[in-house]
Amino acid sequence: MWIVEYRELIRILTISDLKVKYQSSALGFIWSLLNPLLMMLVLYFVFSNVFRFEDKSFALYLLIGIISWRFLQIGTMTSMSAIVGKPSLVTKVYVPRQVLVLSTVLSSFISSILEFSVLIPLLLFFGVDLSFNVLFFPLIHVTFLVLVYGVSLILAAVYVYYRDLNQIWDVFLQAGFFLSPIVYPISIVPEKYLDYYMMNPVTVIIEMYREALLYPKTPSIAEIAFTLSFAGAMLLIGTLVFGRLERKFAEEI
Amino acid sequence: MSLYDVKLIDKLANGAQSMDEAIVVEGLSKRFRIPHEKKGTFYDHLVGLVKGGSYSYEEFWALKDVSFSVKEGETFGVIGPNGCGKSTLLKILAGVLYPDSGKVRMGGKIAPFLELGVGFQPELTATENIRLYGAIMGLSRRDTDEKREDILEFAELKRFENMKLKNFSSGMYVKLAFSTAIQTDPDILLVDEVLSVGDETFQKKCAQKIKEIRRAGKTIVFVSHALGTVRDLCERCVLLDEGQVVSMGETEQVVEEYVRMMQENESKGGHGIDV
Repeated sequence: MWIVEYRELIRILTISDLKVKYQSSALGFIWSLLNPLLMMLVLYFVFSNVFRFEDKSFALYLLIGIISWRFLQIGTMTSMSAIVGKPSLVTKVYVPRQVLVLSTVLSSFISSILEFSVLIPLLLFFGVDLSFNVLFFPLIHVTFLVLVYGVSLILAAVYVYYRDLNQIWDVFLQAGFFLSPIVYPISIVPEKYLDYYMMNPVTVIIEMYREALLYPKTPSIAEIAFTLSFAGAMLLIGTLVFGRLERKFAEEI
Repeated sequence: MSLYDVKLIDKLANGAQSMDEAIVVEGLSKRFRIPHEKKGTFYDHLVGLVKGGSYSYEEFWALKDVSFSVKEGETFGVIGPNGCGKSTLLKILAGVLYPDSGKVRMGGKIAPFLELGVGFQPELTATENIRLYGAIMGLSRRDTDEKREDILEFAELKRFENMKLKNFSSGMYVKLAFSTAIQTDPDILLVDEVLSVGDETFQKKCAQKIKEIRRAGKTIVFVSHALGTVRDLCERCVLLDEGQVVSMGETEQVVEEYVRMMQENESKGGHGIDV
């Protein structure tokens, strides 16, 4: 299995990716944690004044939504150029190309864990009772990791052939941001659309994060089964598409 | 074990192959398509659709039905004029390119020397780059660390192990790259004219090392223009021209054939070659 044989390469690439990410900005690590907090403040100001959401934990509701969305957004955007960005590892030597995608996704995954860990003291500060439901967090986060990795495999492979995919995906992400319950509560979604709305697996995953960390509520078996099987399907499709398109990477890059 | 290896072993198991053949290539063909108009984006394709122009391209066969086999422990040369498909062949053997048809079976761990210093990063130190290269070759951290001393010693760069690569001179760079690549302990070496690196002493050391590797019974595929070195090292050779096998056999005969071919070309006004 390539993950085992090339674990050392995955480790090195992931760490160097994180180093680049945190060293390239002046405030480094702090900045990447400030980013979601500042975004939360902006959105909180807009949505609590304009839309008058009265819920007092709305700030935390927003923050969980933003942090989970950031993993999907940054994870897919950076790993899209995982293949194109390392041409010498594609054209000059054989390494399983999935290694390149996996290591960028892992680096975003670790960043996301760091962002979530800043959330914990905030939750305590605002007097949220953390229950045993927090134990579901690893399961939810790993499910999301598999999903993001599956999507990233497709994006990274297609991007080799179509270099304007990032523009298109950016629009998709914008749409997804507003089609998922990040800045508004699910209760504002009209009843007749709710069934369709809940078919979005990212919606379910974000709600599960909130159940585990904020509400507290135990995620249902149905939710876990739905997100796990969707993530599994993405992984399978991603692997197949990547395997098919990988054959001409060295020529197209 | 890499995916590619798995496929190769699969092929190994399926094909009837005697044990002492390290590489078997059967009916290998590789075609490149060179589009008249490069379409690299969705936008280009949309515009193409609207304009209604058909997708036209030029076909170019880099390799056509190439077959040969290399015995275990043999040093095998691949020669031919520029653009004959040597590099394409080597890249297919290395697993970088996929053939359009034909089979490749490789028995053992491959170390490709398509280019020196693949994956080296200027911001990392010599030691870190050695680790990175080891990881690219699929070695564990422990294996790489065990070899680090040997690598630095061979490269004569022990003093600079903690210096960032960007501060290395180009000579030091290739020395480090060559030493790292040679110490990964492969079963099969794919070498693409990279032996002429460093100063004269280092070149001698490299030649010495290659001979040592030969004596240790490793298989080497050697692609080169330097006929002197080919004569010196290789037991057998294949001569390629326009992607096809022109002749194959004892090095001496094949090299002679190549020289004759080049002379004919030259008298026809083609390009010559240094022997």
